[in-house]
Parts: sequence; structure tokens; C-alpha cells
Amino acid sequence: MVRTTVVGTYPRIGDRPEEQTLRRGIARLDKGEIAEADLRALEQEVVQTVLREQNDAGIDLVTDGQISWYDSQSRFAGKLASIEINGLVRYFDTNTYYRQPVVRGPVAWTEPVLLDEWKFAQSHSRAPVKAVLTGPVTLASLALDKHYRTKEALALDLATALADEVGALVRAGASHVQIDEPILTRHPEDVSLVVEALERIRSRKGKASLTLFTYFGSVAGIYTDLLDGPADVLGLDLVQGAATWSALARHGSKKPLVFGLIDARNTKEEDPAAIAKQLLSLKGSVDLNASYLSPSNGLDFLPRDRARRKLRILRDAAKKAGVGG
Amino acid sequence: MNELLTTSVGSFPKPEYLSRARTKASKGDLSKEDLRALEERATKEWIRFQEEIGMDVLVDGEQYRGDMATYFAENIEGTEISGLVRSYGNRYYKKPIIVDELRLRGPISVDWFKFAQAKTERPVKGMITGPYTMMDWSFDEHYGSRADACLAFAKLLHQEAVALEAAGAKVVQVDEPALSTRFDELPLLVKAVEVVTKGLEAKTVLHTCYGNYNEIFEYFNKLPVDQLDLEMSNSGLDLLDRFKREPLEKEIAFGVVDVHSHVIEPEALIRERIEKALTIFAPSKLIIDPDCGLKTRSVEEAQGKLRNMVEAARAARQAHGWT
Repeated sequence: MVRTTVVGTYPRIGDRPEEQTLRRGIARLDKGEIAEADLRALEQEVVQTVLREQNDAGIDLVTDGQISWYDSQSRFAGKLASIEINGLVRYFDTNTYYRQPVVRGPVAWTEPVLLDEWKFAQSHSRAPVKAVLTGPVTLASLALDKHYRTKEALALDLATALADEVGALVRAGASHVQIDEPILTRHPEDVSLVVEALERIRSRKGKASLTLFTYFGSVAGIYTDLLDGPADVLGLDLVQGAATWSALARHGSKKPLVFGLIDARNTKEEDPAAIAKQLLSLKGSVDLNASYLSPSNGLDFLPRDRARRKLRILRDAAKKAGVGG
Repeated sequence: MNELLTTSVGSFPKPEYLSRARTKASKGDLSKEDLRALEERATKEWIRFQEEIGMDVLVDGEQYRGDMATYFAENIEGTEISGLVRSYGNRYYKKPIIVDELRLRGPISVDWFKFAQAKTERPVKGMITGPYTMMDWSFDEHYGSRADACLAFAKLLHQEAVALEAAGAKVVQVDEPALSTRFDELPLLVKAVEVVTKGLEAKTVLHTCYGNYNEIFEYFNKLPVDQLDLEMSNSGLDLLDRFKREPLEKEIAFGVVDVHSHVIEPEALIRERIEKALTIFAPSKLIIDPDCGLKTRSVEEAQGKLRNMVEAARAARQAHGWT
């Protein structure tokens, strides 16, 4: 049957006091009451909870919830040479904010950023843990560039840095790597740059499966370009990007897809049977057995209890679709 | 005198005793009545402070509010309040969920407006969280359309605006921090704010902050309000040149202190900002205020910023002979 996955983030805290250890821990770190190492331990406890919740819901391909990420932009970029982290900027059309990376010189990867976290997560999960990274073109577009003259030059150097990170992850055993390029929903004209950058990452991925995920809107106009691109799997937001569906129905796909059909930005609950029916309408034009059903983007926009319910809807819809047994 | 009037955007920090009381109340260890008494005490203190420093148009300081959208939603039927959702970093808020048709239970902020206005002879602003922001900051399980949800909020908030005016508000401010979230929805925002302000005699103000103003600039004159309240110092006064080329046909409340900085701007720096603004705007249409609500600052920082701001405006008025 169709498999299930998530996109990346998961709510870090819940409403019960025992689900708020990380929030309290960060506040205590800010006051100097605990050390960095204590906070890392708290993060690891939350990662284990997040993995357990995904494992319990029967999700086939999980993530560590990106629990240690302050935001999607500064976590990785902030560890590269020549990048500083600046003030808050609105993140796409969400009511969330990221700390803006400022590029002061040639960017370069110096050591693994997320490797230890991936290893920790994989050692605590029954299901394979997908390594998720923000893509080079999105990073370049949302950063403040004070060094490179063009977005292209910055994006390609970021792609080289990401390729180094992917190489380290794959050597450690990561079998699934996902690169997120939400910027394509706003700037579809960047598709050729995304493809060029992804080639660099692909060259270091070894046998791992490489997914390109776009969210926060439609990519209908560049859907076929993405199918021809270097990713092994293509992930699509089909809620906010519902307009991509018609391109998908028309062209089908030779690549496995990740169908982001569960709304990760609204608490309203989907009917699993309706989702399954929508999915099955593609039988014959997409290899559903090799594809995944997922939320439309990271689950961090929802309260923890609602995120849990969305995971159950995801599992139930996949079961009802039941393609290929 | 109506040159360089001074005002505030809305929120002030809560004094330590009130923050502690709110924590206790949330755990059920303090009664609503006891909390209300402390909220009233803090409101009175802020009104007195604003009078003491010589502020012209006052605010109640929002000592009774947590989040600006949640506070309004809690008083509107058809909503529930969700669990905690992350805003950024380690900051979380409870987001409203629209679960049914929206209905006003009764006036939302009128009671607090009356309380504050009764404590001073000076005008106190009526404060409304705008319909677009209410919609954008809520989950929607009922309407299924952003426009429908936004206009449903607008109808209710119009009733609130009318009630504030009836209670004596001479100025009604609509807060729309979400204004710059989706540029393609600006026509919807204009339509919704029009619904809220329609037929009001009171002076109407629209406050927004932290957006890409260049993208929304062409909408400034279309917004159906008398005064636009903009954060100007955090964005480095970048917009002034554009205002020179494309004049604003309304009053402007011009933010001269950065609410996200711990630094208390010296009077001389604020005065410089005021003089820059005066090169573009007529003094009778230029209102001096902070960039945004001051609730994230400490009481001392907020008071220091406001004191210097009012002094700088006073000095500018004197220098230009407007006193």
C-alpha cells in the first residue's frame, strides 16, 4: 500500500506541563541556570518523544522533528563559514519568523552540522529517519547577501556546502535525504537554478534516495521541469498548492511522489476516505506503491495534540487507499 | 495646539506583580476578581504615567490582554482557543480556531476603554484587532475561505467600533500587523477595514508593522482610515524618499523609537528623526509615537523611551514656535 511520511518539523512542546520541558529549558539556559549540554539532553528527550509519536502512528518514513532548529534558515546556514545570523524576518506567508543569515564572504562547509542529531534519531527509531535540509536556492533567496553579486553564485556555493553535509549523512547510513525548496512556489523561474544546484547534491548522495520537496503553494507551471530534474522523489504541497493537482493528473509521474494532501496549516480534520479516493484516482499514472502520503508541510504550525491527530488521519487514509496490498 | 501630537501604539509592559498574578490565575490559584483588581491597578498606573509625561492621546496599555488576536477571539462566539503554537524561537501563543459562524457575545474592549477614559480628561484610543489579522492568525474549520472568514470578523468588529464610539472614543485604532502577509490579499484587507470603519465619526487609525512597506505602498492612500500608524525607526526611515515622491493623503503616526531594542534612544536622536519627518509631513498631520506596542520591553525601558519621545516632540514644537 501507499506509504506514509512527514515533511520535517514537529511541534516541540504540547499543552501538558510534562510536554513543555524544552520551553522551560531554553528559558533557563537564557538565564544561565543550565548549561548547553543540559539543553541538548532535553532536546534529545523531545526527539525521542517525537519519534515515538510517529512510530506509534505507524509512519513509515519519519524525521527527528527538527527539534533543535531555531528556524528553517539559520540552523544550517549559521554553521557555515562567512555567515552571521541577524534579526527576525517573516517566513513566507506564515505568522512565524526566521533569523536572517547574512553572507559576509565565500560560504564553506567546515564540519557536519546535523550528523550527530541524525545518528541519535536513527538509533531511537524503528522506522528509517529521513535527513531533511533546507535547499540552497531557498537559503540564498532568504539570506542577506553582502558578498556574492548574484543569487546564483551564492546558491551554488550553498549547494556545494549542502552536498558535503549530505555526503557525511549518507556515509553514516542515511538512506533518505530530503531537500526543501519552498521558494519555487514563489519564484518558479528559479527552477533551472534549483536543478543545477541539486545536481551538485546528487553527486554526493550515493545510494540514498533524494527527495525534492516544495511547499506553501503551487508548482503547476514547472511541474514537468521538476519531473525531469535530478531528484529521485518529488514532494508536493497539494493543499496550499492544490493547483498543482491538475498538472499532476494530466502528466502523471515516472518518479515516486510525496502527496502532501493533509493540511498542516489548519486544524480542520480531513476525511481519510476522501483522501484515499483522491489518491486512487492517480492509479495507473503514478506508481502509488513507491510513493508516499504526507502532510502538506512541516507540522510545527499546529498544536501538538492536533499534529498527533493529523498523523492518525495520514495513516488511516493510507490504509484505506491500500493500493497494491 | 495640534502640531506633533504624541501617542502610543497600544500595549505597555505588565508590571512584575501583574505578570506573577497572571501566572497564578492561569493555574487557578488566583480568582478572576483578584486578577481584575491588579489589571485595574496597572491600567491606572499607566494612565497616570502618560499624563505625567505629557502624552496627548492615551492608550489603556492592554494590561488585561495576553495575545491580541486570542483576547478578541475569546470574546467571540464560534471560536475555540487551540493549544500552543510556535511563533518563533521559544515563543508560543494560543491560536484561535473558528469552529462555527462568528457572533459577538457583547462588547469586547468597551468596558476597559470606559475604565481607562474615566481616569483621564485626555482622549484614550479605542483599540481593535483588525479583521484581516484576526482571520490570518486563526485556524479556520468553518468558513473554508479566507475572504469569508475575514469579512465575518469585519462585521463583528464594526459593531465593536460603533460601541467604542458610543462609549465616548474619539479615536478608534484598527491593528493590522498581518497586513503585509500576502500582497495579493490587500484588496481584501481594504474591503474588510472599510466594513469596520464605515460611518464612524471618530478619528480612525490603522496600525501596521514589520512588513515590506515598498510592496504595500500603493495601498496606503486606499486604506479607509484618517491616520496611518507606521513603524519607521526599525526600518531605518527608508520610506521617507518614497513619501516625498508619492505624498500621503492622510495623517501619519510616525514611529520614532524601536520597540525591539533594549536601548533607550536619547532625546537628541528622536529629535533628529522628528526633524527628518518634518521635511516631508505637515506638523498638523504628523503624530509622534513608538514603532509598535511596547509590551516586550521592561517597564523601565518602555517608560524611558516614552519620556524621551514626548520630550523630543516638545522640544521640536518649541524650536518651531508651535507652542
